[in-house]
Amino acid sequence: MSRRLLTALLAPVAVLMAVPLVYIVSLSLRSRDDVLNGGLLPSEVFWRNWPDTFGAIDLPRHLANSWVVAAGAVALTLAIAVPAAHYTARARRSGERLLSLVLASYCAPPVVAVLPLFYLLRTTGLNNTLAGLVLVTGLANVPVAVWLLDGFVRRVPQEIEEAAWLDGLGGWGVLRHVIAPLIAPGIVASGLICFFLGYNELLFALSFAQETSVQTLPVALSLFQGDRNIQFGRQAVASIVGVAPVYVLALLAQRRLVAGLSAGAVK
Amino acid sequence: MAEGAITRPAGLTRRRAVRRARLPRVSRWQAAPVTAALLVFSGYPLVYLVGLALTESTLARPLQSWVGSDNFRNALDNEIFTGSLWRSTLFAVLAAAGQLVIGTGLALALAARARRLGLLGGLLLLPLVTPPVMVGVAWKLLLAPVGGAVNGTLALVGLPAVNPLGDERGAFWTLVVIDTWQWTPFVVLLVYAALLGVPEELREAAVLDGAGHWRLLVSVVLPYLRPALLAVFLLRLVGGFKVFDIVYVVTAGGPGAATNTSTYEIQRTALESFQVGTAAAETLVFSVMVGAVATIVALVRRRAVRAER
Repeated sequence: MSRRLLTALLAPVAVLMAVPLVYIVSLSLRSRDDVLNGGLLPSEVFWRNWPDTFGAIDLPRHLANSWVVAAGAVALTLAIAVPAAHYTARARRSGERLLSLVLASYCAPPVVAVLPLFYLLRTTGLNNTLAGLVLVTGLANVPVAVWLLDGFVRRVPQEIEEAAWLDGLGGWGVLRHVIAPLIAPGIVASGLICFFLGYNELLFALSFAQETSVQTLPVALSLFQGDRNIQFGRQAVASIVGVAPVYVLALLAQRRLVAGLSAGAVK
Repeated sequence: MAEGAITRPAGLTRRRAVRRARLPRVSRWQAAPVTAALLVFSGYPLVYLVGLALTESTLARPLQSWVGSDNFRNALDNEIFTGSLWRSTLFAVLAAAGQLVIGTGLALALAARARRLGLLGGLLLLPLVTPPVMVGVAWKLLLAPVGGAVNGTLALVGLPAVNPLGDERGAFWTLVVIDTWQWTPFVVLLVYAALLGVPEELREAAVLDGAGHWRLLVSVVLPYLRPALLAVFLLRLVGGFKVFDIVYVVTAGGPGAATNTSTYEIQRTALESFQVGTAAAETLVFSVMVGAVATIVALVRRRAVRAER
């Protein structure tokens, strides 16, 4: 098939993909009476939503919470997953077994952990704290990171590791001085993917962090739905403010992210 | 032991020593953090859930008194919950299958167009990093019966208005479409990467044998991709069972119970109606079902991988 024909086929798909995102921007510029105007564009541009949103909710606080939770969770996830992936990729049978176990745990829907973790967090005083949410989100993403990183470790030629043993390095030494530098792009990619997952997570955030001071952005966004007169314009503003930095991050790291995802796929 | 060491031929010991030296040296302790993580995040919840399911609990005071199978009976007698099991399965299977078919098609088209994704790679990432809550709001308003952009557009071209969120089947399918909108790009990226791995010799050999485009796809490319496709299907299937955000935002489980998936129903039973014991029993039933479905797909994939070797 010709390149031009394929482009013509793919173009409508791209448009379809973009519509909901463009629509959110359009919503952010509509007054309340204009939200349901039957079109994709505002009948009249209404800038007031932007300052009003910052007056209505503590947006900087929610954003900061989301960033803290996502970044803290990534640190925890990687601290667990990087050594684990070296083990699953290199410890033969026992590594394979661990990998299956990790992937099996990923199959369990997160709602399974909600009640037990609720009690655990309360007993340890971590309910309604960002630290508690970091812990839960970080643990939840471990299987994803192990799955991706395992692929990266497997691509490192074993001879390099053997040379390091001759220099007297043990497992941790090899991991730190040989494997970690070589799979650095994979660590970055997995870290970013886990960051996005943590940033957008709703179920745990809604279940374990009910107080306003620790609510993450997705929770704050979902709470707009509870009002009798939903302020869709402001909700759109909050969405955009929250998602814009993440889009920038994704576009900047685009090649690494795509490579990171591929590492999982080609296994 | 000592006797064995003496009688063992020297050559064998040396060979064994050499083999051991070549064995990858990873420390057992490298698996310790992940083991601890699994215990906290999977092991402990499972044990605790069994405890909660067999006793009476409130959110404030868990594990009060033994009630035997009462909670399970409550869960299984509740038609909203048993219905949610079926709905969740249907949702996961339909969404995963739809995403796999559309995503594979798009990936094939993209791969035929160019060997690099370029700017498109970045655009494909955007739905993946968009909070599902935001995606849900956009779709809900687009589909609003009065004043939504979809009906506005339909009216412009003289077509009758639609209200998919107003009826049971429509609402269910709308959620499938939203999930598909969000996750098809993920499938595209993974399948595209797998496509680049198809060995050139394999294609060339098939072309030399006179295979056309279609034949090449059906007899060479797709069979080669099968393990990767099944892995992606499994990932999305599991993702489908986890769906919560868009249900919460778009339909809140309604109309009626048409979009009440198990994850949503359990979260509500536990943290909105505070029926802790029932929710725990429901969770266990749901996990067993998800485990069964995922195992079937995993077994099919393992067979596909074996068949290839």
